[in-house]
Amino acid sequence: MKRMLALLLCLALACALFVGCSGNKKASGDTIRVGLICIGDENDQGYTYNFIRGKDAATKALKAKGINVEWIVKWNIGESSDCEDANIELAEAGCQLVINNSFGHEDYMLKVAPDYPDVQFVSCTNQQSWNDKLDNTHNAFASIYEARYLAGVVAGMKLQQMIDEGKIKANEAVIGYVGAYSFAEVISGFTSYYLGARSVCPSVTMKVQFTGSWSDAAAEATAADALCDAGCVLISQHADNSTPATTAQKKGAYFTSYNNDMTEVAPDACLVGCRIDWSIYFEEIIEAIAKGETIPQDWCKGLADGAVVLTPYNDALLAPGTKEKVEEAKAKIISGELKVFDTTTFTVGGKELTQAFALDTDGDFVPDSVEAVYDGCYNESTAQSAPYFALAIDGIEWLNSAF
Amino acid sequence: MGEKTKTPLIRLAKRDGLNPSAAWGIRLASILVALLLGSLVILITGNNPFEAYGIIVNGALGSEVFVRQTIKNAIPLLGCAIAIAPCFKMRFWNIGAEGQITAGALAATFIMRQMVGKVPSVVLLLAMGLAAAIGGGIWGLIPAFFKAKWNTNETLFTLMMNYIIIGVVSWLQIGPWTANQGRMAQFDEAACLPKVMNIHCGWIIVLVLVVFMFIYMKYSKHGYEISVIGDSENTARYAGMNVGYIMMRTMFLSGAICGIVGFIVASGANNTLSAEVANGVGFTSITVAWLSQLNPFVMIAISMMLAVLEKGTSSLNTWLAVPASVSDIIIGLLLFCMLGCEFFINYKLIFRSSHNGKEGEAK
Repeated sequence: MKRMLALLLCLALACALFVGCSGNKKASGDTIRVGLICIGDENDQGYTYNFIRGKDAATKALKAKGINVEWIVKWNIGESSDCEDANIELAEAGCQLVINNSFGHEDYMLKVAPDYPDVQFVSCTNQQSWNDKLDNTHNAFASIYEARYLAGVVAGMKLQQMIDEGKIKANEAVIGYVGAYSFAEVISGFTSYYLGARSVCPSVTMKVQFTGSWSDAAAEATAADALCDAGCVLISQHADNSTPATTAQKKGAYFTSYNNDMTEVAPDACLVGCRIDWSIYFEEIIEAIAKGETIPQDWCKGLADGAVVLTPYNDALLAPGTKEKVEEAKAKIISGELKVFDTTTFTVGGKELTQAFALDTDGDFVPDSVEAVYDGCYNESTAQSAPYFALAIDGIEWLNSAF
Repeated sequence: MGEKTKTPLIRLAKRDGLNPSAAWGIRLASILVALLLGSLVILITGNNPFEAYGIIVNGALGSEVFVRQTIKNAIPLLGCAIAIAPCFKMRFWNIGAEGQITAGALAATFIMRQMVGKVPSVVLLLAMGLAAAIGGGIWGLIPAFFKAKWNTNETLFTLMMNYIIIGVVSWLQIGPWTANQGRMAQFDEAACLPKVMNIHCGWIIVLVLVVFMFIYMKYSKHGYEISVIGDSENTARYAGMNVGYIMMRTMFLSGAICGIVGFIVASGANNTLSAEVANGVGFTSITVAWLSQLNPFVMIAISMMLAVLEKGTSSLNTWLAVPASVSDIIIGLLLFCMLGCEFFINYKLIFRSSHNGKEGEAK
């Protein structure tokens, strides 16, 4: 008991000493204070790193417009009540905007948002804000499938070059894809990538291996290794690590990356990469907040606005004519002439797709509302920002699945 | 040297019965030393230590919201420290609290999935709590059974049991019980612990457990048996106690309380089950139990202190932009000094002296 008393005394003393000299510093004048909650940290060189790049670029662009942003970043916040604590802490710290960067953060963000109606809460890559009856919650994603299509064009050009040079036979043009989970976000990504490749290399096929984790360096390497052994000559990925790139290089396969330029880790394999440029979104919403305007409930922009981009080309490895082909496809996607999920370019179970729902309204994770197929294509990311294309098209072989 | 026996520069001698005020002096000094060492770390990161400590205290206790969060973080620490106290008293090294918490949360979630919507909230919560106690209890009972029967090493056994159950939950989470993207859905409102004074009522449950454990250890026959085994297994056997049975009974109780903690965390704090439900609490609580010398009431203060540090150092990351590892270092220094000072309370250092019988003494 004495021990407890003494401890309490110590604590009380410490409080008395220190409480006076700290206190939350309020943002001064025209500075916007923004909180960013990250699932990882910059060291991942992938997912979270990409957000930090977006944050830095947006800060710079806003500064040029006379808007000062003060960021408070919370690193390595898991998808548990820690995330709730982080949201509370940032709201209490006087942030006008709190951005959560991982899918699993949203449930915890939604527990905090009702208590702070004047703070805007954003959950990136998520989808509940249209249905949560709160005015201060928002979602955002970018049409990364457009950039993946372009990366696919780069890959397809390389494969066609290998066929033309007699290095592989036409039926040996097989892409291996390391995916995290068998969810729409991943399926939409590799399908658009595959369609991009097939637009320039008609004989290409794809094998997909899921790891069952967003970030598991060893499992991603193993999957890439297995895909190379199964005859894949080019690897791409939708998971957080750079191990598939190094594995591809070791196995003599080519590679295209996601989230970050991986040319440095795999200079003999990496052709190009694609990523979301979050600075476009950050700049837009922070500027809106500075002007006292409302920010969109659900946001999705793509190639046309620079919200999704290709990372720098690895010129030494590109097939001739690649850049022209990519520019051509890009211009057509922006103008609307080219639709990524054009229903005349793919089949599902041998038949052309005529009907598919986009959204799930009853929570059973089977889409049941909003028709997505119209105007001759499957309209991705129009009904909501988070991707919903989850069909298995012909030409892509799933080696496993992981939910 | 020509001397027959060489006296080492420093010798250790057991102290018996250091007077309490001196013991407290040593403990206070150890905290001061830890704070000073921590200041060094903060200085290295280029910040003002006074400001940093101010932020820690303010971040944990500076407003009602922060106090609430701090208490929320202290609940599982306290509950789990209470759970492992009888095992440690018995010198049965249960480091499987992590797994027993997870097993309890798993059992509670299983029952919730069977009964939700069919029974009133109160019945559902009671059933979940009971299931959690049984689930955690069984997870604790297994290593105790092997220890009693074949004298297996309980330290390794309980540790390994952690990985098994955490693996099972990981699989359920991305497999049969998944809702989306490898996560389980949030619990129905009926399956979430109600809030009392704006904190989920787990705090009442653990406070009741504190009182229960105090009485159990101090005034019950079970408690007496446990302390006899802890002092000497042979004595216990000679006195006619069934040591194996008592071990299994105690571990079941310990696992059951851990299981209830798992239920509290899953239902009250996270409102869902995930493989990270224990989140290191099972290990940190060992420190809590040890620092409190297994006294349940002291555990309240120690678990609060650790929660204050955890919450406070998290604010430190926010305001001074120091890496999270700096917070871990500061917490680590404090724990190291506090645990380490017990050594100086039990032993004294004797320096070699040129004159016989004039030995200097230092703490």
